Amino acid sequence: MKTHGRLMIFSLVACVAYTLAYYFEWSLFQYYFAQNSIGGFWEEGGASGPPILWYGWLATAVLAGAAAAGAIPQRWVARLLPDLLWLVPIVLIFAALMYERRWFM
Amino acid sequence: MFTALVLFHGLVSVALLGALTHQALAVVARRAEARSPSFIARFRRTDPAAYSTAIVVLFAVVVLTGAVLYPSYRLVVRPTLQTLDLRAANGVFEIKEHLSAMGLVLLPAYWASWRQPLVAEYSAVRVGLTWILASMVWWNFIVGQLLVSIKGPV
Repeated sequence: MKTHGRLMIFSLVACVAYTLAYYFEWSLFQYYFAQNSIGGFWEEGGASGPPILWYGWLATAVLAGAAAAGAIPQRWVARLLPDLLWLVPIVLIFAALMYERRWFM
Repeated sequence: MFTALVLFHGLVSVALLGALTHQALAVVARRAEARSPSFIARFRRTDPAAYSTAIVVLFAVVVLTGAVLYPSYRLVVRPTLQTLDLRAANGVFEIKEHLSAMGLVLLPAYWASWRQPLVAEYSAVRVGLTWILASMVWWNFIVGQLLVSIKGPV
């Protein structure tokens, strides 16, 4: 049960972190597909062509989720409301739809 | 190699779609309906817990192969969409991208909620996450097929 709680914390935090990552463009790294090269988040792009940020957003989310799952004390994990695990993703999916509606205007 | 990987990605997606659809319907099946001999009832009668590990593996494989294919999409398909000014097609793919990532990070919670013995406290989580993942996979599958149709053979 302890492991279950931590897995659920991972998912919850990683899902929120992914949303923040694409919204604020917090990409841990960028992949320049035209050059087949990787740049760190501190590097300026430009000359290497357009980057793919999705891999970096996902890495940011996994890192945040893993950090939270490892760092949050067990007593807080035990207090997690199970319903948040499906309610929060629904809100985040709605947020993603709202964010991407720019393509349909 | 690219075509083989697209084919593999598509085939695994079909398996995932079938497994998640079965599980999503079975998890909300009422016992009375489940006793009926009809095709729908039999379809829904499956043990939903039996699918969870396979779904986690299939989902991860689909996202992984999709991630490998993604640069080719950016090099080949996306420029075509931009040339044809198909903004909505680009938009539905952006949504697919977000749903894939969110689905992937939700897998640990989904898997934990389906572990045996099933915990009654997580029953709403099981139903909720199963339906969320099933909706994501349906969206992603339809969008994938749509974009392949727009681009045509590579």
